[in-house]
Amino acid sequence: MPTSHPAADAGAAPAEPAVPAVPGGPAGPGSPASAQVVAPVGSAPGQPPAAAAHPRGAARRRPLRSRLRVYLLLIPAIVPIAVGLGYPLVRQLVLSFQEYGLAQQFGRPAEWVGLDNYVTLLTDPYVWTVIARSVAFCLVNAALTMAIGMGLAVLMAKVGRAARMTLQVGMLLAWGTPVLATMTIWQWLFDSQYGVINWLLAEPLGMDGLRYHSWLIDPLSFYAVATVIVVWMSVPFVVFTVYAGLLQVPAETMEAAQLDGANARQRFWLITIPMVKPVLFVVALLQIIWDLRVFTQIYVLQRAGAPTRETHLLGTYIYSLAKEFSMAGAMATIMLALTLALTAFYIRRMLREEEL
Amino acid sequence: MRIVRNGAVALTATALLALTACSGDADTPDTQDDAAGDATEIRLWLNGTDTPDELREYLVDTFAAENDGATLVIEEQDWNGLVPRLQTALTSEEQTPDVVEIGNTQAPTFTYAGAFSDVSDLYAELGGDTLLQGFVEAGSADGKVYALPYYSGARAVFYRKDLFAAAGVEVPTTLEEFAQAATTLQAANPAGTPNFSGFWFPGQDWYNGTAWVYTYGGDLAVQDGDAWAGALSSPESQEGLAQVQKLFTEGTNAPQDADSNEPWVPFNNGESAMFSAPTWARWSIDLPECNKGVDPEDESEEAKALRAEQQACNEEKTGVFPLPGLTADEPATVFAGGSNIAIPAKSQNQELARSLMRIIFSEDYQTMLAENGLIPANTEYASAMGDDVYATAAIDAALGAKLTPAAEKWADVEGARILEDFFQQIASGADIAEASAEADQLIADTLN
Repeated sequence: MPTSHPAADAGAAPAEPAVPAVPGGPAGPGSPASAQVVAPVGSAPGQPPAAAAHPRGAARRRPLRSRLRVYLLLIPAIVPIAVGLGYPLVRQLVLSFQEYGLAQQFGRPAEWVGLDNYVTLLTDPYVWTVIARSVAFCLVNAALTMAIGMGLAVLMAKVGRAARMTLQVGMLLAWGTPVLATMTIWQWLFDSQYGVINWLLAEPLGMDGLRYHSWLIDPLSFYAVATVIVVWMSVPFVVFTVYAGLLQVPAETMEAAQLDGANARQRFWLITIPMVKPVLFVVALLQIIWDLRVFTQIYVLQRAGAPTRETHLLGTYIYSLAKEFSMAGAMATIMLALTLALTAFYIRRMLREEEL
Repeated sequence: MRIVRNGAVALTATALLALTACSGDADTPDTQDDAAGDATEIRLWLNGTDTPDELREYLVDTFAAENDGATLVIEEQDWNGLVPRLQTALTSEEQTPDVVEIGNTQAPTFTYAGAFSDVSDLYAELGGDTLLQGFVEAGSADGKVYALPYYSGARAVFYRKDLFAAAGVEVPTTLEEFAQAATTLQAANPAGTPNFSGFWFPGQDWYNGTAWVYTYGGDLAVQDGDAWAGALSSPESQEGLAQVQKLFTEGTNAPQDADSNEPWVPFNNGESAMFSAPTWARWSIDLPECNKGVDPEDESEEAKALRAEQQACNEEKTGVFPLPGLTADEPATVFAGGSNIAIPAKSQNQELARSLMRIIFSEDYQTMLAENGLIPANTEYASAMGDDVYATAAIDAALGAKLTPAAEKWADVEGARILEDFFQQIASGADIAEASAEADQLIADTLN
């Protein structure tokens, strides 16, 4: 990619019709000129002051054209976001204040009902049960995933090459296999009649009572199975990301700490963890969001024979409302608010860290 | 397996939708000179492979012969995910098929939503009162008929003759004897397999459980004025449910966390002596002692002969009877499966679609349906199903069969899996009255 390299970029810029606005001549030498294009689009704080000073000067000379150009460059990013994220979100909000079902889709006018959908949902104790279950499930799963993922990442950084390759390949396979395919296998493993797990427990391990045990029929045991599957599927992402973070911890810092007499535990908790903390924050944030809106695994397990109503989480509950689009829209909005509330702390913290 | 297929199906559906969208666009100029009556193409959606190829060809040929210049295209849809596909296709003038088949339990939802054209004026001409009335009711709203019956299939009980003989059990003639037979078989375990079931009755199998509720005179839900109420708590339903729970406890070892899918698997494994399914399940029976190990894809004459031999062997070892009723001379009221057929309101070819409906309800076509083992919409032609054991069992079972309540939102009850949950509770030994009251409440909340 020549364009990512400033020196090469300078040569390419004048010939590139996509960036004709670069004032190659008057702005001076090529290298800062390409920085000028990058600076307003990317985050300015990261730019070294020397490089930033020059383009700012150029902008002051022709402010209007320059600013227009900035907005023009933003359009390719804004249009897909508005179409792909904005429209569904607005539509969902609008729907949640209407009565909108199948009949409305066939042309009956949709009635505005104000907050009725929200009132119906929020006064239903069952909805609160589902919310409580989802939050608990999300926190347990995110915590387990983070703990196991971090443990494996540290392990991966310490073991030899062969062991690391094995770990990496295994993780990639677990992560790369399509969800529905892995879910089918998990479902077979836990099948009460023909499943390998029941067979293992009964035949070699002698727990005969579990030969035809139904794992999914009791909600707690259902969530335990779901947790095993969800954690198993999410761990590889945490491992790879944290492992990449660990590689960034400079060896000389560690060596210095060691010379200063810090033991392994101290080095890990006082140097490594603070240094990879931004990575941990992002990963934990994503885990919480993903585990709160978990759908596929729960849906498939429910279809495998669990009592549906007693095992609904937010994702599957919204889906079960989907024939009444307005109700589903209201529930989805509640879930969005819940996600924001759960992650607000993290997001604020992250933004602050970035400012530092 | 089912789930993976769903993914594939979704893809196919998307592709189909994309295709139909394209063809819709391409057709637009054609529709404009529709008045001339030439080169119009109408589309019929049939679901799954229940309608055999021979019947499809008949429809296409007859339609072309009767409608000068117009042609019929049949597009096959999968049952899985049909409702969301119809939700989008039927609302668009460009994508809608001109005639559409829809599951009988899904029909009320779309009928009430205004998805179909009123065909009340055609009703008498197409068969009137000789049509399957339960299905007509499922396709009617406010005294008008929107969706007509297409075909029906009923459940019958398959059993292993050798296991019956070994346990000294006769084919039951009443529902009570049936339960007794299941219990005796299970206790005797003549197959000698672990976890043997007299009758394969998994916990979520509400299709079969409903037969007891119906046979004892109960119902799932009843209409009271404008409102619907769950009817599982009625004394009749309770009586039936008590029998269901007894059968769950004594007559089956099937998992409580399984549904009615593929009941022939344990049957083929020698793990159950009986199962209940639509009569086409005969093609899925594959007993190990009859299996010739032929590749099902092998089209050679030799393989075909071996497969025929295998099928004959399976059918010789297997018997079939309609689920018996309360007395010896009447069959049980089982759950009726099948589908309706309707003209989407958004179709731009209403006249041609009506012409296709006339062909579908003609004596010729109805007879062909019957000859292929389906119970035709017009009961006058059911005799064409023949008189082998499968046909007799199917007809007997269908005579008394009953549909799910014709409530506008019945599809939501199925979507919320209320009955799966309910029968699972019964299977787990829950208090029947308590579980019924709870389920009734959920059904009422959903339907109203």
